[in-house]
Amino acid sequence: MTRALRHWAAVIAFVGPFLFMLLMFQYVPVARMLWDSLWDFALLNPDKRTFVGLGNYLDLFDDPDRRQAFLVTFGFAAGVVLTVIPVSFLVAVYLNGTLPARAIVRAVVFLPVVTSAVVIATMWTFLLDPNNGLINGALVILGLPKLAFLTSKAQALPSVIGMMLWQQTGFATVLFLSGLQGIPRDLEDAARVDGCSALQRLRHVVIPLLSRTTVFIVVIMTVFSLQAFAPALIMTSGGPEGTTNFVAFDIYQLAFSLQQPGLASAVSAVFMAVVMGISLVQMRLLRTRWTY
Amino acid sequence: MLRFATALLATALFAAPALAGDRSAPTADCPQGVLTLSVLKPLNNPPTPAMISAWESGNKCIKIALNEVPFGQLADKISVLAAATNPPDLLMFDGPNTQTYAAAGILLPLDKYFPAGLKDDIVAPTLAEHTYEGKIYSPGTQQASLALYYNADMLAPLGITPPKDLDKAWTWAQAIEAMKKCQKGEGDNVSVWGLAPSRFGNATPGFVFRDFLFVRTFGDPKAPPESSLYKTYWGISPDGKTAQGWLNTPEAVEGAKLFADLFNVHKITPKAGIPNAFQDKKACFTIDVSYFAAGLVNNDPGFKWGVTPLPYVRTPVVHTGSLTLGVTAKSTNPDEAAKFVIDVSTGKIAEDYNRAARALPAMKSIGARIEWLKEYPLNIFQEEVEKWGHPRPPSAHFAQYDKIVSDALRDIAYGADAKTRLDAAARAVQPLLAR
Repeated sequence: MTRALRHWAAVIAFVGPFLFMLLMFQYVPVARMLWDSLWDFALLNPDKRTFVGLGNYLDLFDDPDRRQAFLVTFGFAAGVVLTVIPVSFLVAVYLNGTLPARAIVRAVVFLPVVTSAVVIATMWTFLLDPNNGLINGALVILGLPKLAFLTSKAQALPSVIGMMLWQQTGFATVLFLSGLQGIPRDLEDAARVDGCSALQRLRHVVIPLLSRTTVFIVVIMTVFSLQAFAPALIMTSGGPEGTTNFVAFDIYQLAFSLQQPGLASAVSAVFMAVVMGISLVQMRLLRTRWTY
Repeated sequence: MLRFATALLATALFAAPALAGDRSAPTADCPQGVLTLSVLKPLNNPPTPAMISAWESGNKCIKIALNEVPFGQLADKISVLAAATNPPDLLMFDGPNTQTYAAAGILLPLDKYFPAGLKDDIVAPTLAEHTYEGKIYSPGTQQASLALYYNADMLAPLGITPPKDLDKAWTWAQAIEAMKKCQKGEGDNVSVWGLAPSRFGNATPGFVFRDFLFVRTFGDPKAPPESSLYKTYWGISPDGKTAQGWLNTPEAVEGAKLFADLFNVHKITPKAGIPNAFQDKKACFTIDVSYFAAGLVNNDPGFKWGVTPLPYVRTPVVHTGSLTLGVTAKSTNPDEAAKFVIDVSTGKIAEDYNRAARALPAMKSIGARIEWLKEYPLNIFQEEVEKWGHPRPPSAHFAQYDKIVSDALRDIAYGADAKTRLDAAARAVQPLLAR
């Protein structure tokens, strides 16, 4: 065997299985999804199908329920990113210092990250129960009225955002912490010598130098939020009045419960394009201007 | 993509049972080998281990392999299986979905397997539910209807005596009055609710089997067919293709408002589920099926309880229909699978199950032999099936209708405007019915 052949044999041996899996379970299904989005059929009888061209895409944009699902999902993602980023940054700054109980706080904060999304959603369903939930119990002790949480049109989405904040803060904190620990000490020392206060050092040195980490966390949190499925399935069934009907759950409902896999595929295709677009815009807007 | 993915998933999920469907090596007792029939069924529902072992003891060369899923996942699982080339031999499915599955070609018609006289032995609502375009797809294992259970110990001091006869059934106004009197506490501090929350579906308000009755009772099947009263009672056109103008009539909106008032005006029932609210004395009344009584008999809740017919407004009505067993059209063992269906749905195996579970029989002959069906309290359920019972709105797209209407009723219970939400539901379901 020649050297070139041996080289290619090694390449195929190492990369081939992964490429095969990637093709089989990622790109072929995506291509199939795009193809299915051009047809009207039911999962119960997939052989009986009608070609509708872009009809499913037109229906999608014409349907208020689909538009609501997209808006709810983007609102949810914005809520999660805007709450997780500052909270996790502050926790990371705390954990990066020399304050007491750091190890315990780090473990407590990270614990929800390694817990199943289904378990968390189930647990929060009990916590947010309007009759016997722990959170309402606490409100009553404080002399406050009980809240409806998941059965209220106004409170359901914020409640689920609260759950995601609790779940994802640990992950974002660990990322921020690694970013903080990677900032060269001498940069902060130089700022201190120049007379910067702690707040000024944070604002003018730490935050700019964390921009790579921040971009990564923003993109990751956005993608996690856009994929949200378990809260809708387990906690709210997408209600009340569609206020927690996330796109991923909507796709599932369309395909399996409402027997419209063609429309579900069209929603998936549009959603995939939108998520890719959002990620690109985020990376562009939050691109690193400082490095070290 | 979905079809591909579901086919892949279904193949993976059912590879083992399908392989088990092959016959084992021949033995002395079974020269053709032991055949394994695979069954997809919801957890805690028939066919029970007792039914299976009774059948297997008379059919030594056939074994039954169960694949059980939670009831809430059953319909989705069946949807996935439809794309598979080797689905299970038998499905335990919700009776109202018979038309959906039959129209999609998932189920095998069983007419040719029915022994003489069997069709005549099936109670009318079951026969109607399990028939599609003149063919029958399941004999039926059981029937169901809903009635109002009450805690007699709580009602006695209040001087409330619910009626025991269908002729004297309460109206909803009377029932709500009794529930209000019995409830303990109000606002945020309710210790005993007038009416227990629904335990059906995913334990939120709105499940069609229970809660769409609040709407249908505002209709009248004897009114002229073009009237909104008539349309309200049926909830869907006779051909199962039109909901617009049937689901959202003025009377239907009235019914939905009454349903919402239980939560938001009278505040006699909670919006979120409370497990075992009735058994734990956290509710005076609960709406439930006949086999709920089996639970109360087997696990004494520690109080006297009774049953009264389901209250009504204009027309008394209960939904019929229950889980039933059918043979998949792609089964490679249709003869054996059909024999299993008929054997466990009729005769002694079915009778033993109906007796043990306090389930209403789908066979008239079994009903005639079960003495407690003629005695209070379970006679109420049986009489309701006979006098007030109707299938849930029949359509080849019932599953979609069920989902959309259930979601609408849940939202109405949570405070959505009844008319706006029913209009939205009719608009959403209409194109699906017309497909």
